[in-house]
Amino acid sequence: MKRVLYILLLVVIYWYVSAFSLLLFHSPSVVSQPKQEAPPPAKEAGGVFISGTSAGDAETLNWILAADSASLSYAGHTVDPLVTYDNEWRLQLRTAARDVEVSEDGLVYTVTIRDDLRWSDGSKVTAEDYAYTLESLMFSDWLNYPYKSDWQEEVGGETVFVTPQVVDETTFTITRQTVYPEFIYTVRNLVPYPKYIAVKYEGDVEAFTQAPEFNNLTYTGNLGPYKFKEWLRNDKFVVERNPDYYLGKDSGAPYFAQYIVKLFGTSATAHAALEAGDITYTGIDPDKVSKFKKMEWINVYTVPTTGYLFLAYNLRDNGWEGLKIKEVRQALSLAVSKELIIEQVLYGFGEPAFSFIPKVSPWYVAEGVAQYGVKPLLDEEKAKELLLNAGYDKPVKLTLVTNAGNDERENIGYLVKERLSAIGIEVELKFVPWATLLRKYLMNKTLGTDEEARYNNGVGAVSEEPWDLMVMGFSTNPLSPSGQDVFYSTTGGLNFFGYSNTQVDELFRKAKSAEALDEGARKELYAELSRLISEEQPVDFLAFQLANAGFQKNVRGIEPGINMGYNYHLWYFE
Amino acid sequence: MRKTWLKDYIIKRLFYAVIIAWGILTITFIMVRVGPSSPADKYLANLAARGEEPAQVIEAIEARYGLDKPLHEQYISYVGNLARGDWGWSFSTSMPVTELIKTHWIYSFQLILLSTILAALVGILIGIYSAVRQYSKTDYIATFFSFIGISIPNFWLGVMLILLFAVQLGLFKTYYDTAVPLFSLANLKQLILPVVTLGTGMMAGYTRYTRSAMLDNLRKDFVRTARAKGLPETTVIGKHVFRNAVLPLVTIIMFDLGSIVFGGAYLTEIIFGIPGLGRISFNAIFADDYAVVVAVTLISAFLVLLINLATDIAYAYLDPRIRYD
Amino acid sequence: MTKKGIKQLAGKVGGIKNLILIPLATLWLLTLLLDIFFVERIFSPLGYLYLALGIVVLLYVVWPLYTSRRLVQYYWQRVKRNRLAVLGLGFILFLILLAIFGPLFTPDPTAANFEGKNMPPVGFSSEESIYNAGTGQFITKATSGSWEHPLGTDNKGRDLLAMIVSGAGVSLQVGLLATGIAVALGTLIGVVSAYLGGKVDNILMRFTDIMMTFPFFLLLVFIIFIFGPSLAFIVLVIGLTGWTGVARLIRSETLSLRTREFILAAKALGASDGRIILAHLVPNVVSLIVVIATLSIPGVILAEAALSFIGLGDPAVTSWGMILRAGQQSLDITWWVAVVPGVMLFLTVLAFNFVGDGLRDAFDPRSSV
Repeated sequence: MKRVLYILLLVVIYWYVSAFSLLLFHSPSVVSQPKQEAPPPAKEAGGVFISGTSAGDAETLNWILAADSASLSYAGHTVDPLVTYDNEWRLQLRTAARDVEVSEDGLVYTVTIRDDLRWSDGSKVTAEDYAYTLESLMFSDWLNYPYKSDWQEEVGGETVFVTPQVVDETTFTITRQTVYPEFIYTVRNLVPYPKYIAVKYEGDVEAFTQAPEFNNLTYTGNLGPYKFKEWLRNDKFVVERNPDYYLGKDSGAPYFAQYIVKLFGTSATAHAALEAGDITYTGIDPDKVSKFKKMEWINVYTVPTTGYLFLAYNLRDNGWEGLKIKEVRQALSLAVSKELIIEQVLYGFGEPAFSFIPKVSPWYVAEGVAQYGVKPLLDEEKAKELLLNAGYDKPVKLTLVTNAGNDERENIGYLVKERLSAIGIEVELKFVPWATLLRKYLMNKTLGTDEEARYNNGVGAVSEEPWDLMVMGFSTNPLSPSGQDVFYSTTGGLNFFGYSNTQVDELFRKAKSAEALDEGARKELYAELSRLISEEQPVDFLAFQLANAGFQKNVRGIEPGINMGYNYHLWYFE
Repeated sequence: MRKTWLKDYIIKRLFYAVIIAWGILTITFIMVRVGPSSPADKYLANLAARGEEPAQVIEAIEARYGLDKPLHEQYISYVGNLARGDWGWSFSTSMPVTELIKTHWIYSFQLILLSTILAALVGILIGIYSAVRQYSKTDYIATFFSFIGISIPNFWLGVMLILLFAVQLGLFKTYYDTAVPLFSLANLKQLILPVVTLGTGMMAGYTRYTRSAMLDNLRKDFVRTARAKGLPETTVIGKHVFRNAVLPLVTIIMFDLGSIVFGGAYLTEIIFGIPGLGRISFNAIFADDYAVVVAVTLISAFLVLLINLATDIAYAYLDPRIRYD
Repeated sequence: MTKKGIKQLAGKVGGIKNLILIPLATLWLLTLLLDIFFVERIFSPLGYLYLALGIVVLLYVVWPLYTSRRLVQYYWQRVKRNRLAVLGLGFILFLILLAIFGPLFTPDPTAANFEGKNMPPVGFSSEESIYNAGTGQFITKATSGSWEHPLGTDNKGRDLLAMIVSGAGVSLQVGLLATGIAVALGTLIGVVSAYLGGKVDNILMRFTDIMMTFPFFLLLVFIIFIFGPSLAFIVLVIGLTGWTGVARLIRSETLSLRTREFILAAKALGASDGRIILAHLVPNVVSLIVVIATLSIPGVILAEAALSFIGLGDPAVTSWGMILRAGQQSLDITWWVAVVPGVMLFLTVLAFNFVGDGLRDAFDPRSSV
């Protein structure tokens, strides 16, 4: 027995040692080059595009159940929305035959889809599929679609769903009872589920969750540039070229044989992979950009994003009472230098923000918007003066909270502390885990009641733990800024800092009503909102972040901009 | 040889193993479900923006995964399903738990197997050498070397190795490529860095043990006899001394293999991007995915128990003095 | 209380040390309960662990060592011959001094200063580029190390030397405390189990089995993830999950001890079980305990570093693992932030390993040091 074990051990060792030594002596060349297959002539499909990410794996491919953006992005390679936008917000038709039409009164939306869309079993994709997806899936109780409130409206004090209606095989309408001009953006994003498969699981959410067709994207037909191939959890997501892609009929798009999303544990390893040529693309952290710009085999594109960072002021009763005074908030905003933050924390990759509408948005206006935090509204003396006038000349001690582990936000916390100490405000920094931040600092409820904690239980509610300042980040939809009312209107679901201003509420209401149907009028409304909010300073808007995308030099067809992925099916290797 | 008591002993141990495994299962299950966070957490921020009630949303999400039923109901149905071979659905990765484990265990296993072999091989050789040439300069150097292995934090070593060999020198790919077939030389090549990282950490244990076991045996009478007989030194050491030390060594090797499949290699896996069970189980913890956590803990525990039992049985056969009762 | 009376009482509980232990332990427990239920903080959670460890170590380690000075000298001679062990001991001493006196000479490790961020150590220079969104160009600034920050600064401008000093304190504390708990618990269980044998042994060993089969690191991550990372809690959890190896080793040693003549003699003389365990068995496994403890400390330190590295460390505390975690992101541009704590961890672990090995060789009667 002993002998057998001994021999076995020796054999195994011998085998692997010889295998190892073979490898070590027969290594291929050491040159560090991008490891691509021989690049094909332009416009002929070939090559593997590897996109590196360290943001985490998707949760599911059954996207109607998902709330994380990764899931939606994975599935998005296999099914297109009705319409998308290029970098100048010009419409790019996808599965829609033409743009969504809106009736004069703003209540009826008509969608016409293309004639040549097919599911994997060959059957036609019809308006029936779209209507079914809306009515029987997204609006249903049993499925509990996370974003169903996008399709709801308030009528006579009740929350009801909009009404989809099939007109013919390729046309359907959605009828509202209230006007909401920016509803069109929601409609344009619509992606259908196949009715013929979904009916099998109707009513049973557990079976639907586990449905193999939806979890393996086997139904997608010609609806997307790629077809699902493989998903090795926490490692990679692989899709392969869809030769039947409806947009590829004449052009032969897409031009990559495979598109892989490769997951990395940290951004450092993703960067190393890009540098070594093992992946085609990844996002580059701000402090590494200059290093990557020096590499001749890498192209780095700096593009705007829809994310912005801000400093929230706690206007609820468990925050510093001074914050309820507009002048005090202005004073604080006068002291915090946005350019310093952009320079020190974002390494220059940001633009100062003064309202929630970014420069890239068609609704952006700069006139009249108070630019706190930048000269001339960067003035410590003036800040101290304002504080004095409001009655706060003695030193004040405030608590700043943000989520631990997020370097950017922590750094901003430090900088804010430094700047505020110059005007006599001592700041204590508290970094807490994200879940704790959500539960104990964001969620609030009215004391002495039994109600469930929510992110906004009305102005009188307070969070479990007291706080004064919070560094946070939100993302905005540049096309429909009215959606930001969740943060800034009195009843906004995410208005965790308790801001309430009737004028702001009114402006938001108007922006979402028939009064905003006319684009000129809407722009005016947004301009006024920006001006008002920037004067009110319910939060100190800090910066809109810029992102950096690093690509191997041999990728062609890239148009850098805010929506640079819109034409990714036309990219190719040279 | 006849060991009538052995059968009873094995049955008793198996019985204990089942009880222990069940105990672990229950404890883990309760711990996961009792924690303050819930899989619905990541939905909360997103969804509140739309004005939904967090409580209602949490309820809805949990209903989707069957998490809204009372604890004991969940437990009973879980154990029942377990017995039928259905280990549940992992909601953080949207696949059946059995599938998940089946797809990923091989990556952990090959890493651990090779690391253990490397560690054992090098460790044992150093141990033998060190015992035979005790207190010589080479003994110190060799021991020092194996100590270095155990002292370097392996997560730091991994990052350094990647930086040096993959990025600067370009000898290896910067990440583990799962497209490469498992039983190929290319796969072995890309395992070199992770195996070195993990293996060096395990080496010193083998060195130490071998050294002391060899030292113990070197003083025994049978060695003097063998030398007196005129046998060459290598035979004395290699054949006689070493063989007495080898069985416990194999035990240690097997134990290492079994016990760190599920989690010990986590850091190495994360740094090199190997999608093994270590990563899966840790991600499951962070995502509150109880089905995966319980399954992994259970399998790991059972493996360890079985290996312990196998070891004890092997010992009973090999050392006639031992008797368990 | 007469001297004789005290001696009698001591006899009942197994020794005078135990007699002193009882009132101290009760006092400790009372203070703890008071703290939890009634009064505002008297001591921090970490403080309680220190107190407990301090009492035990004073009574059972320092006192015996003091009374048997000749023995201590004998062993010290043996240890001294192992040069690596002496080197290790020297380094550990240096660390202790660093941890205690370092903070007096270094700036606050949490003081962020963005003007001076990413400074390299003395003798090196690096560059930093800031992007200008308006022009699309970079403004590059070169910085070189200065004696003001001898080891450089991290990406928030915190002095690395100060952070290392703070980390030294953390690692030593965690090492000491967690190992203390693990060893104390393991010894107790091991000795009791081996001595009493039979059913007690069975149950205790099954319990140890259960604890052993739990994948250790997974369990650690799990508990801390659920209940939140605080240093005292981490120490407690590492201690409470790491005792199994100790228990096993002590048990086998005790098993071989209990058949020895001096134990049989004590039994024949009518000594109680408690007395035999505490007055005869434990002191004889002390050398083994010391070796095990010294060799467990590196594992504990690495466990804490690993936890911090994956983000489960106490965010309010600067530990080496935490510095490593921040540093490994920018290894290619600010390498010193990752290299220095890595080297420190390495040297510390190495030192403890050398000392432990040296002690083991010194205590082993068979080796001819």
